[in-house]
Amino acid sequence: MNTQTDIESKLKSVFKKVLDIKESEIVPGAKLDESLGIDSTEMVEIAVVIKKEFGVAIKDNELKKTHSFNDIVGILKAK
Amino acid sequence: MEKIAITGLGVISPSGIDKRVFWSNIKAGRSAIEKIERFDASLYSSRIAGQVKELEGYSNVSSRLLKKIDLFSHMALVASELCIEDAKINLAEENLKRVGIFMGNAIGGWLYAETELRDMYLEGREGVSPFMASAWFPAAPQGQISINYGIKGFSKTIVADRASSLMAIGYAARTIIRGKCDFILAGGMEAPVTPYALLCCNTSGMLTENNDQPHTAYRPFDKNRDGLAIAEGAGVLTLEPQSRVTARGAHVYANIIGYGTTTDAVNRIEPSDDAVQLGRAIKIALDDAGLSPKDIDYICADGAGSKIGDASETKAIKNVFGDYAKKVIVSAPKSIYGNMLGASGVLDVITTVLAMEHNMIPPTINYETPDPECDLNYCINKPQEKVIKNAMIINRGRGGINCVLILQKP
Repeated sequence: MNTQTDIESKLKSVFKKVLDIKESEIVPGAKLDESLGIDSTEMVEIAVVIKKEFGVAIKDNELKKTHSFNDIVGILKAK
Repeated sequence: MEKIAITGLGVISPSGIDKRVFWSNIKAGRSAIEKIERFDASLYSSRIAGQVKELEGYSNVSSRLLKKIDLFSHMALVASELCIEDAKINLAEENLKRVGIFMGNAIGGWLYAETELRDMYLEGREGVSPFMASAWFPAAPQGQISINYGIKGFSKTIVADRASSLMAIGYAARTIIRGKCDFILAGGMEAPVTPYALLCCNTSGMLTENNDQPHTAYRPFDKNRDGLAIAEGAGVLTLEPQSRVTARGAHVYANIIGYGTTTDAVNRIEPSDDAVQLGRAIKIALDDAGLSPKDIDYICADGAGSKIGDASETKAIKNVFGDYAKKVIVSAPKSIYGNMLGASGVLDVITTVLAMEHNMIPPTINYETPDPECDLNYCINKPQEKVIKNAMIINRGRGGINCVLILQKP
């Protein structure tokens, strides 16, 4: 089982890769739309990379409920 | 028609980015057609093209956005920025619900599309980027420009093969006259130098196969012409009504005073060899401008470089212009940088307004052997000094599309 810190660190690298943003912009409470400006296609790309990196498939309806970086960490922790 | 002013321009071309570099290369008749080296094109029957260099040096597009868009949208964004700066328009002071975007494009964003198709077959459905959904289609650049500036007015993307952007400009001028927009960004973009797009253009039979001599391969109206050299690029203009131009004291490059379009209804690839419908489009544009053929000082020709294309274009001009057809000066300056397909019309407009500004007609290059079927007064290989009051631009596209725009020096 991954620790919270491991998951956060790995997810940050996914966000950096997909969004081409600095790690310092990705704070735990960062809002996906308001803080990071993530659009629907970027969200799908994040899900695809999460599947590759974590081996975890996040369903569409789960994805739509996420509002922050922490929400996704929570889903990954529960899987 | 009511005059519509061209008050700004942005150009991305193989002959240079920005109007100064572009005009100095056009004036010099310096060919920008080169061998394609960005991918292995060695097995293609036509493997030369006009290719844009140094786009990154002019681009303020973020690396995050670049992942999501095709090259044709990138070029359109940079051309728009150059154009708005050139027109000295501050968008923060505009009612963005009354600003429009009219763009022309023939084939879409194929570099993005073909890369993702490859990934679909190699990696399955999940290998395809979700950005594909918004990257490939012809109206994608219009969307990106609108998002970039918050422009929310009446807008359209016109798909009409090589006549796309000239048609977009004509339609934009009409839209301003109808009072639907305060001003419009109008133009076009094309990025066909990709493996699959080049293949499809090759199979259409319209490309030159004179690969050993890239600089002299594209030779409109020459007896030994064998097709066009393809090119990539983008151009954007700001179009404004006279009332707005006067109010803000804008510099006017030229006014759009006439527009006409028809279709041949004959063949899905080649133009009709009787040129009757192209002649009719020319007459419609002249009537729209309130001019007679003798008022035209310069014709910026379509110059497809095909046997039937150049011969029938010559025929149409002779049919409408009568005896004056042998006197009016004709050239196809796109022979210098290549045929930009859906973006070729806006490049012709930019070339013509710069020609008006500099009192100099840009040449058709590579013309060596006269063809009895193409016997007009061509401006050949060197520019010609001339005050241009009225100019006509002709664009044609597959499917028998004919489009004619008339410009007047302010």
